[in-house]
Amino acid sequence: MGAEEDKKARFARLITPYLSHAYRLARSITSSPTDAEDIVQEACLRAFRGINGVVDTNARAWLLTIVHHTACTWLRKNRPAALISVVNVAAVEAKQAKFDEQDADTPETALIAKTNRARLEAAIGSLSLPYRETFTLREVEGLNYREIAEITGVPIGTVMSRLSRARDQLDDMIERKRL
Amino acid sequence: MTNSTSSSSSDNSIQLVHAYMDGELDLTAALGIEEKIAADPKLAAERERIIALREAVQQNLPRDPIPPALQRRIEKTIGLRQETSHPTWRALAASVALAVLVTSSSTWLFLDAKAPQTMEDAIVAGHIRGLMAPQPADVASTERHTVKPWFNGRVVEAPHVADLTSDGFPLIGGRIDVVGSRPVPTLVYGRRKHIISLTAVPNAGRATSGPSVSVDSGYNIVHWVTNGISYWAVSDVSASDLDEFAKLFRATQS
Repeated sequence: MGAEEDKKARFARLITPYLSHAYRLARSITSSPTDAEDIVQEACLRAFRGINGVVDTNARAWLLTIVHHTACTWLRKNRPAALISVVNVAAVEAKQAKFDEQDADTPETALIAKTNRARLEAAIGSLSLPYRETFTLREVEGLNYREIAEITGVPIGTVMSRLSRARDQLDDMIERKRL
Repeated sequence: MTNSTSSSSSDNSIQLVHAYMDGELDLTAALGIEEKIAADPKLAAERERIIALREAVQQNLPRDPIPPALQRRIEKTIGLRQETSHPTWRALAASVALAVLVTSSSTWLFLDAKAPQTMEDAIVAGHIRGLMAPQPADVASTERHTVKPWFNGRVVEAPHVADLTSDGFPLIGGRIDVVGSRPVPTLVYGRRKHIISLTAVPNAGRATSGPSVSVDSGYNIVHWVTNGISYWAVSDVSASDLDEFAKLFRATQS
């Protein structure tokens, strides 16, 4: 009983402050608020079972790692098509058409600055999953490379290249006003 | 596109611009890439693109909170009851407001009543620790577009970051200090050879108040409250310099 109460107290102290981070990550991975809710709930149950194993200072990255794994497992089972990230039609088309349809009047940075929420979400949503997740963890959640590497289970060098490619693809899409 | 900009700038340098803008470089590497950016328009353009995209994300993509119904469902599933759970941020804020009402004195009390230090002591301690560490900042960057996002997720609310370089107070970076076992953001500015730490403590119950000046352990301190955030500027610069810094910073908040 005491141990159970301890676990609850630890969960409330270490995990509850990061539930919004968990929710945003799940939504970014699945591109669906409904799927994100199921995933966050399942991830929280896993986090609660393992709560005694987490180091206090690392709770956020630890929770987000659980969300990452839960989401990937969930997608594999329920939305296998979402995991196929070989061909990203929108980005490929954007690159191909870039050269014949350049917007000569507006500088690229001005176009990027003018974009709105719907356009941005569409652009981010059209990135393949690893790029989308890495970009969100960096630019929305503000995590550092080491934490992103830990959460997504890849080397730091991969985080760097995913991030710069994600930014390139987003710039391309916004630049071409395809959104 | 990286490829289209890589003709004269090596891919490595472009990656370094990204790492620099993400606050991932140490001071030496950061200075190195700043020089390269200044010399190479393509690297400068890469930096501008990163800034533009970052600003677009910050302005247009709100960091949505978890839906309250989902949070309640999770807390119910796990069996967190209100009376056994730890205080939420809202409850903490309410208790701070209450503490302020009850004490109604200028003496600041910690959230953790057991702590023997005052908030001012803790903030000065953070400044001293910064001076003694190899670097006064955990993220070393003169770019406020790098420093502000670095705080996202590390603290509840990323602080307002002002660019005061042209006024003689260049931004050096930012770090996390711990006040009353709570992580709080500290901005680090320079003044000639000196360091100014500006700590921002979210403090919902406090009314906006003008600057008050004090001295602690030989350091000058200017303290004010704006929009429910307590600001503490600490430095060994002269009181008049620190006062000017506070004025300039406050002017950017309106």
